[in-house]
Amino acid sequence: MSAQQYTNTLANIFGPDLKFDTRFPPLVRTTGLLGNGAAVAGVSDSQLEQYQRTASLVASEVTNATHRTFLIPCKPKDDKAADAACAGKFLPAIGRLLYRHPLAPDQSEALVKEANEAAVRFKDFYAGLAYALEGMLLSPEMLLIAETTEADPARPGHQRLEAYSLATRLSLFLWNAGPDSALLDAAARGELQTPKGRARVVEMMLASPRVESGVRAFFDDMFGFDDFATLSKDAETYPSFTGATAADAREQTLRTIVDHLVTNNGDYRDLYTTRKTFISTALAPIYGVPAGRGWVPYEFPAESPRTGILTHISFLAVHSHPGRSSPTLRGKALRELLLCQAVPRPPANVDFSAVENPKSNIKTQRERVNLHLANPVCAGCHKITDPMGLALENFDGSGKFRTTEKGEAIDASGSLDGKAFTNVVGLGQALHDHPSLPTCLVERTFSYGSGGSVTDAARPMLAYLNAQFAASGYRFPTLLRTIALSTAFSAVEAPPAAKNEARTALKSSAK
Amino acid sequence: MHKFVRLSALAAAVAAVPLAASAEGITNRTIGYVLTNKSWAVYQTPDGKTECPAGLNDGPREQFKALYPDDGKQRTLLETHLAREADIWFPNENEPETDKGPLPFRYAAGKMALGLNLDGKIGSKDFSGPRGDTGIDNELYRVLGCVPGFRGPDGANYFFENDYMQRYIFNRVLLEITDVDDLTNDNDVTVTTYRGLDGLLTSANGKDFIAGGTQRIDDRWGKRYIHRLKGKIVDGVLTTEASDIKLPWALTFDTNPDQGFKQAKFQLRLTENSAEGLLGGYVDVKDWQHRFTINWSTHHSSYGQMSIPSITRAMRKLADAYPGPDGKMTAISAAAEMKFAQAFILHPEKSVADAAPTPGAKPVDQRAAGGQ
Repeated sequence: MSAQQYTNTLANIFGPDLKFDTRFPPLVRTTGLLGNGAAVAGVSDSQLEQYQRTASLVASEVTNATHRTFLIPCKPKDDKAADAACAGKFLPAIGRLLYRHPLAPDQSEALVKEANEAAVRFKDFYAGLAYALEGMLLSPEMLLIAETTEADPARPGHQRLEAYSLATRLSLFLWNAGPDSALLDAAARGELQTPKGRARVVEMMLASPRVESGVRAFFDDMFGFDDFATLSKDAETYPSFTGATAADAREQTLRTIVDHLVTNNGDYRDLYTTRKTFISTALAPIYGVPAGRGWVPYEFPAESPRTGILTHISFLAVHSHPGRSSPTLRGKALRELLLCQAVPRPPANVDFSAVENPKSNIKTQRERVNLHLANPVCAGCHKITDPMGLALENFDGSGKFRTTEKGEAIDASGSLDGKAFTNVVGLGQALHDHPSLPTCLVERTFSYGSGGSVTDAARPMLAYLNAQFAASGYRFPTLLRTIALSTAFSAVEAPPAAKNEARTALKSSAK
Repeated sequence: MHKFVRLSALAAAVAAVPLAASAEGITNRTIGYVLTNKSWAVYQTPDGKTECPAGLNDGPREQFKALYPDDGKQRTLLETHLAREADIWFPNENEPETDKGPLPFRYAAGKMALGLNLDGKIGSKDFSGPRGDTGIDNELYRVLGCVPGFRGPDGANYFFENDYMQRYIFNRVLLEITDVDDLTNDNDVTVTTYRGLDGLLTSANGKDFIAGGTQRIDDRWGKRYIHRLKGKIVDGVLTTEASDIKLPWALTFDTNPDQGFKQAKFQLRLTENSAEGLLGGYVDVKDWQHRFTINWSTHHSSYGQMSIPSITRAMRKLADAYPGPDGKMTAISAAAEMKFAQAFILHPEKSVADAAPTPGAKPVDQRAAGGQ
């Protein structure tokens, strides 16, 4: 479970006013998504220490005098003694939400016993409750997503997720949090395992405000916004780029995405041409516009170069160097993040001396990257990254609009896979019309939802999803619905090793 | 669903290619600035000997010691501390006597000063400016020029008056120039002063104040600071016609005094990122003394050797305008150095988009704006 999923889950269970910080270790990005990295779990001692710290904070918050009156459904007969009846009302109910399935009777009894023993030891009922709750929050059943399978009666010989695992997968996919009580109830009733029942539940989930958290989490992952954690800019070169700018830049793009895709159910491709966004005080100086109080909806005028989220500070600043822009980094990000294409890493023995010579007379980034093209070793990759990155050169490394660089007029012409343009507006349109833009989103969304990299076996499924997505007018909620209702979402493929064993067994039996 | 604000079509709409336009920081014939630095205009030579040949003035502590030396004589609290405190709030006409005569006051000497020609005349007492301008009226400089606290860069008043102006939002001063077509030459513009409601925009390293911030107008409690002045821009320098104005001028938190200027004129060099120059005018001596006294205690005045009774008496002596019923002048010519950074000024009745610049406008070079 990611830090955000953990936080969202606890906020949904206990309310958003709980004060705790969740500094979980970073995940490893795998085939374009951190979500895929989360599919492989391992916990070191230091990681466990961080989990324990958070669990301790949450348990003490939930049971403190401020929260206990409304989070704990009963009062002990004596605050300074154990009370099995009251502990028994609280712990199994919370355990069901934390573990994402009902607790077995012996599991509930063990938790109550643990709380009672601690209450006696501490001479405090709530300390005992906190002790047991901390243990639950630290449990692998809470922290790790373990999926259980069962035989799929509709597809003999195949496995599917059992109902509670399916509820969890749906919830993490659509809400970026564990399932709530209603979803667990639907799982208990077997509703999730029927097409009609699952459709009703998915509609309910898509109608919930929590879907905003799910959409934000997905795009935060897909766009690699974890890079903001290490983003720094030279304060002398970019005096208006502060820590607040970086935080708000991430938020701006996520707000724009949610507003366009969820609130207005807009065409995904239009994200790359829309001039509608939101502005904050920290962003306004870089955009060169006035700031209102807090976040203000804002539409750049038709003549503005700010068109689409490529011209947001989030994309421009993250994919730049600390002191200058980078057509190469921007082009690479565009291809890898938005078109799901792979750009090879530079060879280890590449000679950077020509482009990094501080005494050179290079004025513009175009001149700089042209040096790469003179070197055949570099040219191969730079030809696939630079032509579209150069179209963003009217924006410096902080994302501010500019017309010149070191006194030289900027040429922002470029091309994307055969489509030429003269400036960033043309780039936005070319990207909008690029066939890989929607298919990349489909691949990433399916991969994110099903918790692993896309395999060859999933290609027919992707083709189906692509067709459905196109037929919907590239509406993201429709894509989420289609994936969530698909058999592939709940089906479980046996791992290759298991398949081999099965084949071996078949061969043996054939003999 | 959010309602997106949209900039109305501007006459100077820009073609798609290239995307840049030359709006030069002016939006809808308007450009705004926010005050980032101010100090009373004191002309200084490197060693101070030219303008203060007799040295710098004494402050409260030195004067107290001179008046009440440790000579074994018994003196009451009323005769000493309270007498001095009374002299701060209600200064006598003359300096108190010591056994060596009255306390001395050292005026700034020389013919050079910063300031403006307020009366349009070139009199024998007038100063010349470092850039060759003549007829400068700044008698306040003669008073403050040799008081350490008013000399830069580290005089107590010089530093703290600026520091509190920057940190204390009560002091936020805005200038909005309207009807402007060209920041270099425009013979008819309107300048309006406002009090702002927002903090200053600082650079990422925290050292400078930069252009591009946004300021809301205080139209509730700030009405007394709204003044409309006519002006013209010649070779990039804005000069306004003389008018009485009032600006917020607090020196500490939780005080809210004003500083009035009679027949005030701004003379500011304008760029799309900054405005820098002088505010000249006549300040009422009594008001100036009252403002300073309610802002700054004797303890604070001691750091910077600022003796308010002596300064007030000197101001009365050199007052050069606005005669009272008794024929004595009540106001003294003065000037303040000022630096502004470009800012978007939000009017209460307008949306954010109304203040937005022309699309593709030339970016503001924030490093060029008013640093500290």
